[in-house]
Amino acid sequence: MSRMHPSTRWLRRHAAVTVLGLTLLALPPLVHAQDIPPLSERLQLCASCHAMDGNSVIPENPKISGMDAGYLERQMADFKSGVRKSPVMSGIIPLVDGKEFAALAGHFSAQKPGKGVAADPRLVAEGKAIFDEGIVGSAVPACSGCHNEDGSGTEKYPRVAGQHTAYVVQQMLNFKSGERANDSRALMRAVAKRMNEKEIRAVAEYVATLSGSE
Amino acid sequence: MMNKTLACIALTLLLPIHAALADVADERKSPLGYGSKGYVWGTISLEQAEVMKLVPDARRGEEAFRGCRGCHKRDAAGVMDGTYPRLTGQHASVVIKQVTEVRSGLRINPKMDPFASDHAVTPQEIADIANYLSTLETTRENGKGPDNLSVRGKALYLRNRCGICHGDNGEGNADKFYPVVAAQHYGYLLREMVHIKKGTRGNSHPRMVKAIGKFSHADLEAVADYLSRLPDYRRVLAKGK
Repeated sequence: MSRMHPSTRWLRRHAAVTVLGLTLLALPPLVHAQDIPPLSERLQLCASCHAMDGNSVIPENPKISGMDAGYLERQMADFKSGVRKSPVMSGIIPLVDGKEFAALAGHFSAQKPGKGVAADPRLVAEGKAIFDEGIVGSAVPACSGCHNEDGSGTEKYPRVAGQHTAYVVQQMLNFKSGERANDSRALMRAVAKRMNEKEIRAVAEYVATLSGSE
Repeated sequence: MMNKTLACIALTLLLPIHAALADVADERKSPLGYGSKGYVWGTISLEQAEVMKLVPDARRGEEAFRGCRGCHKRDAAGVMDGTYPRLTGQHASVVIKQVTEVRSGLRINPKMDPFASDHAVTPQEIADIANYLSTLETTRENGKGPDNLSVRGKALYLRNRCGICHGDNGEGNADKFYPVVAAQHYGYLLREMVHIKKGTRGNSHPRMVKAIGKFSHADLEAVADYLSRLPDYRRVLAKGK
């Protein structure tokens, strides 16, 4: 024992720590540029919440299929920098390197969007009126102006067609409260602040029914 | 002293409520605008000069108008009640002046504010949109006053020589940045005139404030009604040729 090299002795005494340390090294907690996994492997991580084709089946997790790639990239970058907050994404995004964003965004942007369904069909008609015409009395512009009549969106304004009601409601409420503040020039915050929760819910129900084929 | 302190506290407490109410109302006075020291109507800002120098494209303007049509509608005819003005046939110079001045805060317009921002429209897009709108035909009926007051309105318009700037047919003057007022929605004309008279429209022309300073509210209603009943100035001018 006394002849042992001091470092070996230390290793033995701290065997548990050593094993843990080696295990941590084997895991990819923080990605270095040189060990970016192949796209197919990385997609598994996203697919667990958003599904492989981006058509998440969990109402709280957004569908990201068919969305503008630039929009998806910006969101990932904002999650990474903390500008956009999400309890789920804040745990996931540190595992992904910024260099992977473009390929991931490209994959999901190219997927065929699935159809959506209203959670409460009774609100769809009111939602359609707001989406198409806005609410003149409270200066809410028609959503269709920017997001298109069919909700297909543009480079600047994201696709909303077929999105889960629960997700849209949550995002609109986050814009309203200011918790989500990664909208350029506070555009969506301005709109959401002019809407009450009932109006938000109605619009979200209508959005879910859109197919966005423009 | 105590009263003053109390008043200050009360005001501070009330401010956020007032701010919330005023969120979409355009009644706040611009600290840069009309009535402030050094305000000169028609001072061309750097951005306005930049936009005016750009070569516009009406087709690109139609696409860029996307961010505007949520309020001004797909056909740019606005809303009948005048909440949003019609923009069809408005002079490009006027649209450029108004958008850049809403953007700079000279004209306070909270409804429009985020949609006039540089995210919604770049300087090139402002030039393109302005060009696109100037070429558009008016396709929808505009909002008129509740009663036909055009005889009285016309008399006021002529007597006060409103036409020197806004033209005999309400056609405005593109070179001088005076807007087309013919066939505009009654509600919009009346609201803006009330703001101008009160001095709360930040980019008001002092001559205009003076001209309508002695108008009663009924006078303003009559002039707004008269202008709202005028036909599209382009049709009138085309006939005269």
